[in-house]
Order: sequence, then C-alpha cells, then structure tokens
Amino acid sequence: MPDVSVVVIVYNDAARLPTAVQSVLDQTLDSVEVVIVDDCSKDRSFEVAKELEAAHPQVRAYQLPENSGAGGEPRNVGIGHARGRYVMFLDSDDVLELNACRNMLEAAERTEADMVSGLCVRVHKDTRNQKRDEWYSWLYRTTRTLTSVSELPDLFVWDTLSTNKCYRRDFLIENNLLFPKGMLYEDLMFIAEAYLAAKKITLIPNQVYFWHVHAQAKVKSVTNRRHEMSNYIHRLEIHRRIDALLEQHGMAEMKKAKDVKFLKHDLVLHLRDLPFRDESYRREFAELSRDYLAGLDHEAYTRVQPIQAICAYLLQKGDWDNLLPAVDTLTHRDKISAPLAERDGRIYWCGEHLDDAFGRSILDVTDLGYHQKPVQKMFLRNALTDYAESDGTVRLAGRITNPLGVMPADAKIKGQIEFRARRRSLQTFVFPVKSLRHEGRFVTWDAEVDLSAKLRPLGIIDSVWDVRVILDVNGQKTNTRLTVGESELGSGLLPVKPRLTRLVADHIEPHPTAKGHLAFRLVSAKHDNERIEEFIQTAVRGKPGKLAKAGYRRAKDLRKTLTSDKTKLRLFHEVYGRLPVKKRTVVFESMLGKQYSDSPRAVYEEMRARGLDFEAYWSYAGPAPKDFPKDAHLVRRWSLPYLKALARAEFWVDNQSYPLKLAKRPETTYIQTWHGSALKKMGFDQPGLKAATQAQQAAEQKHLDRFDHFLCRSEHDVRTLARAFRIPEEKLLRVGYPRNDVLVKTRQAEDAADGARERGALAAELGIPADKTVLLYAPTFRTPGAFPMPFDVEKFAEEFGDRYVLLVRAHYLNHVVLPPAAKGKVIDVSARHDVMPLMQLADVLITDYSSVMFDYALLDRPMLFFTYDYDKYVHEGRGTYFDLLEHAPGPVFRTEEEFHDVLKTLDVADDTHAEARKRFVAEFGEYDQGTAAKTIVDTFFSGWSR
Amino acid sequence: MPQSTDTTAATGTAMTETHESRPRDIFLVSNSVDELGGITSWSHQMARLFAERGHGVHVVGIVPAPEGRRADLGPDLPYRTTTLYDVHPPSVKSLSGLKGKLDLVERRRRAARDTGMREQAAKMSALFRAARPGSVVIVTQVWAMEWVALADTAGLKVVGMSHESFETCRKSSRFGRVKRFYADVDRMLALTREDADLWIRQRMDNVGAMPNPLPFFPEEPSRRTAKRVVSIGRLHEEKGVDLLLDAWAEVADKHPEWVLTLYGSGPEEEALKKQAAQLGIASSVEWMGRTSQVPDALRASAVFALSSRGEGFPLALMEAMATAVPCVAFDVAPGVREIITDGENGLIAPPGNTGEFARRLDRLMSDRELRDRMGEQAREDIQRYSTDEITGRWENLFTLLHR
Repeated sequence: MPDVSVVVIVYNDAARLPTAVQSVLDQTLDSVEVVIVDDCSKDRSFEVAKELEAAHPQVRAYQLPENSGAGGEPRNVGIGHARGRYVMFLDSDDVLELNACRNMLEAAERTEADMVSGLCVRVHKDTRNQKRDEWYSWLYRTTRTLTSVSELPDLFVWDTLSTNKCYRRDFLIENNLLFPKGMLYEDLMFIAEAYLAAKKITLIPNQVYFWHVHAQAKVKSVTNRRHEMSNYIHRLEIHRRIDALLEQHGMAEMKKAKDVKFLKHDLVLHLRDLPFRDESYRREFAELSRDYLAGLDHEAYTRVQPIQAICAYLLQKGDWDNLLPAVDTLTHRDKISAPLAERDGRIYWCGEHLDDAFGRSILDVTDLGYHQKPVQKMFLRNALTDYAESDGTVRLAGRITNPLGVMPADAKIKGQIEFRARRRSLQTFVFPVKSLRHEGRFVTWDAEVDLSAKLRPLGIIDSVWDVRVILDVNGQKTNTRLTVGESELGSGLLPVKPRLTRLVADHIEPHPTAKGHLAFRLVSAKHDNERIEEFIQTAVRGKPGKLAKAGYRRAKDLRKTLTSDKTKLRLFHEVYGRLPVKKRTVVFESMLGKQYSDSPRAVYEEMRARGLDFEAYWSYAGPAPKDFPKDAHLVRRWSLPYLKALARAEFWVDNQSYPLKLAKRPETTYIQTWHGSALKKMGFDQPGLKAATQAQQAAEQKHLDRFDHFLCRSEHDVRTLARAFRIPEEKLLRVGYPRNDVLVKTRQAEDAADGARERGALAAELGIPADKTVLLYAPTFRTPGAFPMPFDVEKFAEEFGDRYVLLVRAHYLNHVVLPPAAKGKVIDVSARHDVMPLMQLADVLITDYSSVMFDYALLDRPMLFFTYDYDKYVHEGRGTYFDLLEHAPGPVFRTEEEFHDVLKTLDVADDTHAEARKRFVAEFGEYDQGTAAKTIVDTFFSGWSR
Repeated sequence: MPQSTDTTAATGTAMTETHESRPRDIFLVSNSVDELGGITSWSHQMARLFAERGHGVHVVGIVPAPEGRRADLGPDLPYRTTTLYDVHPPSVKSLSGLKGKLDLVERRRRAARDTGMREQAAKMSALFRAARPGSVVIVTQVWAMEWVALADTAGLKVVGMSHESFETCRKSSRFGRVKRFYADVDRMLALTREDADLWIRQRMDNVGAMPNPLPFFPEEPSRRTAKRVVSIGRLHEEKGVDLLLDAWAEVADKHPEWVLTLYGSGPEEEALKKQAAQLGIASSVEWMGRTSQVPDALRASAVFALSSRGEGFPLALMEAMATAVPCVAFDVAPGVREIITDGENGLIAPPGNTGEFARRLDRLMSDRELRDRMGEQAREDIQRYSTDEITGRWENLFTLLHR
C-alpha cells in the first residue's frame, strides 16, 4: 500500500498534465501513487494520461463517461480508486512542492491527524519574476495541531482550498466526505465538512502546493468571472449550506467568524463591481443579498472595517444613493465620498437611518477622524455627471462631495482639470474648469476641454492618460479623480496628434480604469494600424526591447546608488568632512528634526536675544517647515545641505541624536541637551542593549561617544542617564535644562505676585474661558499611530465640561481623535511644537510615565497620574529606575472611575501634595534654576558678540 | 482561544513505541572527530547510543582537531573513527572582484584545495559505497557538508544539522552556507520545532526538528537545602555572567544568607570580578573556576541561573533540571522555551531584563515550597529528552527517509 495517493484531475489540459504528474513522481517520498481522473476532455488529455500510466507503474488513469462540469466529481472518482493511506488532490495545471508528501506524511503520523494542511503559493506564471503570493500565510507561520477547527476559526473561514491538504483516506471514507456534484465553489462545501469532521488537524509552514495563475489565459477561470450573477447565486447557496452545517454542529462562534469573512471578502468582491453594472443587475443583486444579510450576526459588523459594515448595511436597506458613494470608498480607502452628517456631537456616514439604533452604530464614523482633516488632506469623491464630445471637444460635468462643509459657502474655490500620462512623461496638460457652484453638501462643476487641439501626447510610451480635477479652496489645494459609473461615456473617438508617430495611434478614447476612475487611452481609428501596433509590440517584447529595458533598469539602479545613503555618507565623511570647519556655525536639531522646540530652541533664542554673531542651521524632517525660525538656514534632515552643514559646523546642539552613522570630527563640539529625565530605563540599562553582544554594544557606544557635553538637571540624571549612556564625569554639565528656564521664571513670578496667575495669549487663542480650570493631559508614548484615550472623552465633557477644559497633547509620534461633542471642552494640542506654553497655561497636569512630570513639577501645581497600564508598563516593558507609586507627588490611579473621583474633589489651591512636590523637585530638578540657557551661552558662545 | 501547539513532538507519545530497529550503517560527519566542545560530546553520545542499538556506526572528521583543543574520548570506542586530512588544508581568500581574478597565486592555491577536497570526498564515497542499504549520513556541521556534498551518497540518505538557534545562526556567516549546502539534503534538522519553522519560512522546505538527548540523569537529585544559586559556563560574554551579576546585585541585600556560585573560567573573568566589586556584591559571589564535577556542583545548589545572551538547546539547563534544581533563564532561544515551561518547572525572564531576572530569582529564593515543587517537576519533565526517547525519534526519522 503506498503511503500517499495523489488524485490529479484534468480537463482539456493535455499539455500541462505531464508536468503535474512529474511533480508527484519526483517527490522525495518514494511511496506515492498517482490517480489521474479525466473529466471527459475534448483534447488529448486522456491519451496523455494513458501514456503516463504505461510509462510509470505508480500511475493509473481513469476517465468519466461524460463531462461533469466542475472539479468535484472527478475528485470523488479519484478517492474511490486511491489505495494509499493518505490522499491529496492536484489540478493538472499546478504542481506539488518536492517535499510535500514527505512533510505531510511525517506531520500526519507524528500528530495522528486526520488532515494536514500546508502553505499554498500562487505563482503568477506570466510575470517577469514569477511573482508569488502566499495563500493566507498568517495561518501557516508555525507548526500547530488543532483538536478542533473551532480553535482556529480563521482556518475554517479563509483557507477553503482542498488542494493544499493531505487527508487520511479512512477518514474520508468513514465520514463519507465527497465533493458536491457539478457545483461551482465545490471546494468550499467539501472542506467545511472535512474541517468539522476532523478530530485532529495539523498545520505546517512548509510550501506544499504551487497554484499556477495564468492571468492572460483566454478562458477565464471561475473566480475571474465573478461578475456573473449565477456565480453569486452559487456562492450564496454554498454559504447557506455551510451555515446549516454549523448550526447542526452548534458552532455559533464559527458562524460569527464566517459572517465576518462574508462581509470582508465575499460581499466586497461583488460590491466593487456594482458601479459598472446596470440598474436591473443591481436590483437583482440587492434582492439576493437582502435575505442573506438579514441572517448575519450583528456582532460581525463590529469586527470588520467600518466601510465594509456601512456598505453591507446600506445594501440591505436598498439605499442606493448612499451605497454607491460608499462603494467608492470601499475601493479607494482614503477617499471621502459621502457628505457626512453631524448629530449630537458624533459624525455619521449619512443623515439617514439614524433612528435605527443598529444603523446609528454602523454609520458612526467619528473615530475615523474625518472631521479633523483639513481640505488639503482629504481625497474627495468627484462623480462624473455628464460627458459629451463634439468636434474634438469634450464637455465634462461633475459633483464633488463637500463633507461637513469643509468647503464653506463663502470659500474662494477655483479649479482646473489636469491630464497626466500614467507612465511618467514630460508633459502635463491643464485646462480650466468653467464654472464651480457651491450647492451645500456638494460642489458642482463643468468644463470644456479641447482635447484634439490641445492634448499632444508623444505616442507609444504615453498611451494612457489619467484625469484629475484639482481644487483650490481658500489657497489650499486638493486633488480629485473622476468617478465614472452611472454616467455613460461617449463611445466617440477624439482625434489627437501624437508628436512622435501617428502610425500607431491617432485618436484618444475615454474609459473607466479597473477601479472606476476616468482615463483616456490612445487608439487607432484605422484598421491597418493594428498590424503596426503588433509590429511595435513584438519589437518591445523581443530582443531589442529587452535590451532597451535592461539598459533602462541599469540606469535606474545607478541613479538609486548615487542617491543612496551609502553615497551620502561617503560624501559626508570624505568630501564635506575634509573642508575646513566654518567658525561660528551651529546646527540645531530637536526631536530628530520633527520640532522647533525644547532646549536647542531655548539656547538658540538666548543666542539671538544677546545679538550674537553666528550662522545658525535648523534641521527639519518631513514636509516644508512651518513654525521654524526665519533667521536661520533651514536644512532638511539627511539632505546634502544638512550633511554639509553638519560636517562643517563648529557646534552641534541637539536633544536626541543626529543620524547615527555620521561621525563627528574632533573640531566640532557636540552639546547634547537631552530631552527629559528618566523614569524608564535608558541606554545600556535597557534590556535590549544589555542582551546585545559586546560588538553591538561597542557600535552603540560609538554614537554616544560623539557627545562632548551632556546636560543634567539633577543627580538623578547623573545616576541614570549619564551612567546608562556611559558618559564620563568631565562631560557632564550640571546646569539644568534651558527649556525649563521659562517654567522656573513663571513660578518665581507667581510667587512674587502672591500666587496670582497670568493667562497668556494661548488661552485666548484656544478660546478658554477665564472661569475654567485648565487640565493638560500628556500621556507617554506606547505604540505608534492613534493614541487610544483611556477614558470616555464625551463622558468627561458632559460631566466636567462646566468646570474644566482638557488639553490633550499626544506624544509627538502619536495623534488623537476627539469627537465633535467634546468641542471646546477637550482640545487637541498635539500639533504644537512647544509644550512649554501649554505647561504654563495648565493649572493641573495629568500624565502617566512621561518625563513631562519632572518639568511640570517646577511650576509647583497639582499633578495627577493616570497609570491605567501600570503593571504592563513596568514589568513587561524595559523596567523603571524608581517606583512611581512611591515617588509620585500626586494621586496615582488606574481606572476611569477613580479618575472621575479625583476630578470631582480636585482643588487647585489644596496643598496636600505641596511637600511631596518640593521633595520631587529637589530630587529630580535641583539644577533647574532658570539660568540654564544663560549659563550655556556664557560658557560656549560669549566670545561671539558682534 | 485555546491553542494546541505541537506538543506531541515534546512528549513523543505517538511514534516511539512502534519504531522498528532494523540495523543500519550510520555515518556521523563533523569538522573533527575529537575537537573539544558540545558537538563532539553530542556526536559521541549519539554514536554510542546508536551502537548500543546494534547499528554500525562510523564517526568521520574532516580535519584533525587543533592542538590544545583535543578532547579525551577514552579508550576502546565501540565504533570506528576516521579523519580524512592528515593536516588542516590551507584556507583560501575570497576571489571576488578584478583583483581576485588577477591573483594567480591565490587561484592556484584554491585549485589545489579543490583537488584536495575531491580526493578526500572520494575516500568518503568509498566508505559510503560499502554501506548496507538503508544507511544514513548525519552531518553535524555545515562546514563538513562541503565535503559530503562532493561525495557520492547514492542509496544513502543525508541529514544536515544546525546545532544552534535560528537567530544565532542568522547573525553568523554560517547562515548563507546552511541555506546553500543544506538546500538539497534529505532532511535538515534544527534543535526545536520553533527553529525548524523559522528555517522553513526561509523556504527550506526539507527542515525538521530534533532535540538533544539528556547528557546524564543523576540517581541522586539535589535536596535544594543549601542556599546557593549556581551558574555553570565559560566566562565569556555570550554566557552573560555580567547580566547575572547585575541581577544578583538587586537581590543579594534581601537574602544575606545566600551565595552566588560561579563555575567556569574564561576571558571575561577579570572584568567580571571588577564588576562584582563595583556592585558591592563581592562578598556573596564565589568564583570556583572550571569544574569536571558538574553533577556534584548541581547537587549542592538550590537554584540554577542561565543568563546567556544566546543559546541553542542548552545542555546545562537540562542537567540542572535532571538534578531537580529549578532554573531561571533569559528567553533567548526557542530551545529555552521548549525545555522550560514558564511557571511550572522553571522561570523565564525577557532577554537582557536583569530587573525581571532578579524578581524571578527572588521568587525562588524566598519560597522554599516553590523551589521544591518546580525542582521536582523539572526532574520529571526533562525525561522527555531521555536517551531512549531521542534515539527512538532518530530511528523513526531513518525509517521515514527511506520510505
């Protein structure tokens, strides 16, 4: 008895069958047999199968008496003829990985599994590098054995292939597992039953099956023809049967997971095609879907992306007006395609269905933060409403969504239409938009474009042209693409005159792109041009074309090398670094160039205030800088001017780190101001660096050894930071932080005025009424992205909005989303570079582990510690230098409830914690005396006076 | 969601009782037959075990062990040994670039070396050809594989081994060579299933897992009464004794009656002693130097500390557990996670986190009952790597490869 039988099914595929069979014969496991089943092919498939049978004793061939129409029945027949202890399935156009049978067998025997499943890889045979993508690879990252598929619902739900698996033959027979006859998606049903019947399923990360994908095949496969309605009907039918099966097995959780997949995957496949389908198709589609959607678990909607849930909900409601824009966003994730509606301080996809509680929850898109985006950051839907052409001129009209009135009625709006070749060429053609009308929730426009006369493509290399409408709203630009769907595009060709050659194309024709945007392509109106086109295509694909393309790629690679970091580093060290140092130059940087802030700023401002004679460079990262000083050279981090400035500067002043790979020359003095005292472990005290090898540690040490001076604000800094960075005593400057001078001075002024506090311009700017107490919430960094607020912001606004204004400042690597309901009561101040004015303004600080606590303490005002994840942060993170619970100069709490209790009884004048704050300042900020900037400038730059 | 990981591999219940013990010829090929170190001890332990089961064993070394690094294997080995080269072949430089192409001296040296390699491989081919059907070549180090790749292995199955964690290998020059020379072996073996999975995801689809067998199982376990934390290993940065000292400094004051006993010597000794003095723990740390009496050292201890920065399948840890000494270890390799079940038969700390390592030491030092429970559990659990168990798994592998 062979160990493994591989059932190979074939239909009209004589040419590829031998390759599939050979992949079984070549297996590292010898004990295999091949059972070929031909689904009554019209070509030579069965003869080829018979030839293989004659040539190899391990091969047997069978044929169905008549064609069964799908892969299920041939596989059933194959199972019947199989003799091996295990069975696998292979399609005639695919192949098995060479170790597949051995790996499957080994796993099956070792774990006594009924089924073993491995990684399937789709290989795109028509691509240049045989592009591969792994089929749900996240399921196959590690070897694991399930005693029920309910342990891993994702497997049941997503991996519905029958071919990347190995089944114990007795298991198939005992459970009467067969493929449904003559049905599309036959795998789905079979595999669902198999998963549920299996007592043990083992997953292995090995590749086992190569699914060959031929994108340009003439006969499209089943899955490519999904726009056919019958396909959808089959799909729903299979889903209903599987749902019934799950019901029988009492697997409610699995059903929920399956519903999630239906919303995320099955429905999306069909929804994306809707804009291209006609009215009757849509009606039928909605009709079919409505019933099935009604049976979905409501919880499933909360486990998919908001736009997926919105589409499903609107489809079920048959609300086409809102659904079609939603599908636009489903296809283009960044696009905002609905006008949106604000109700009771929340943002909804549309104003309809809000009386339905379920609808309300689905349509609530507040957390997506649309309402916080300025118009230039929005990608707005622009639906083409009219298209006509005559005499080479195209008339276009469209409707642009105006979400939440981001374009106000009195805004100055201008517009233009831009034609740009998709493959980058030198040319862009711009036409004016004739009229723009503000219609409340929409802005409508129309334009006349004289394409024949004005658009001059080159020809051949720029055959596809994309169209954009660019709006200018009060000076802010926003790009839109034209969504084609409902409106009919004219079929007319417009004559154009390509500059290079008119042999191939002399007309341009509109079409929707695969994702539904308007584009134009060059075509030929004359028939014989096709032959020339073919001729040129042959040249492009043939040897000369290949050579030209290879040359182009090499040129591109060369350009990449020349602009690479490696080249820049050589330039820095070997060219710029050999130029003489420019006396009286300083390069300033704060937070890796992200801000104009902190101690480097304080030192810079002190130098300017003293009127010193020097040349200043400020480093910035990201887009063109705002809020950076006008009287300094602004250099983009990593740019050549930046590297040149650094290489030649007499001083570096920074609070974090210049690029690690830049060595500092000895003539340059590096003043490292650092950006905060430490609670959590830093430098070589961090587990990550401790675990590193000596060589890795030495490399890190090299970066730190660049510092010539290191600022400390207490002996705590000396014990922690200085030790952790292994900075020798002589480099330490015990002068305090220049950025904190302003805090010390503020407190001194307040003390002098008997505690009277001046609220500066910032309070007015933020619109804070005089009678409100200002709280500043500054949590520390955890993970990048949106910071999830640890309390309900709306509830806070409701309960405490009459007493407090809460300023939220996320870490500079985070951002926050606040609901409109909290407007005026909770204010996002994360975008402000300089935290100092915020601290000066705040009557109370709320933080967790952020170093802002050490600075704010200088103001001697109340501090609250909201340490909602204390255990995780302290024990699972890198560890802390001291126990916050013991040292915190204010209440420490972990829950929203405690937070509210503290707020209820909070009295700014209460000095219960005043003693603790004094001790805290003495321990962590003894050198902050308000004179740090002055001391630094006196020490290093006093000779630079004019 | 309950997740059943691949536990049968660890407990080995499924297959070992049914293994067939058909005698085979087994070649164990290493860099050297007798170079001091873990691989040599492993090879000869396995060779002895295979021989005891009636297999014909032959240990092959490519080159003689370097002077001063030779292990004493004792007299009368119950199997053959062969060393191919009489002297170590000359090492060669890389010949890349124009300069390399023009370096005629180096090119000639390389050609001579290649010829030499083929001659030595031919010797192996002769040995292999004389083997019975169903025989196996086990290559313990990838360097030796370069010779085996040149030899004729028709009719035999070739197993290549990586005796270190995937991560350790990935950071070394061996990584590329493993992927190249083990690409077509019948089976490549990693030390744990987790390592094997990582190799497989490098698209080495022929990789399996095989743990090391327990080096010894003492009759007499530790009673854990002496208040001693022990560490055994070379004083080399890789063993992370500096981390252990940092951790010890956090617990020593709280447990004045306890001592930290360090066995081993090495290049870091001076630096470590200085560090201990700076941390103010010199009085509670004992420096014992190298020992050949590992079982005794373990028996006299109550807690074992494994502070390594990198590991494969740590034998010291297995030995401590076999002696019923509960362990604290940094989570630096899948091998550590596989041997210790955190919280049941030992404790695991995040890599390099000396604070957490100290907290775990403190937990065991403060709680006699916990020590006893974990120690006894460890002794029981570690027997899943008994020599019988592991030899059985090897024999199953041989059977699989010849199916």
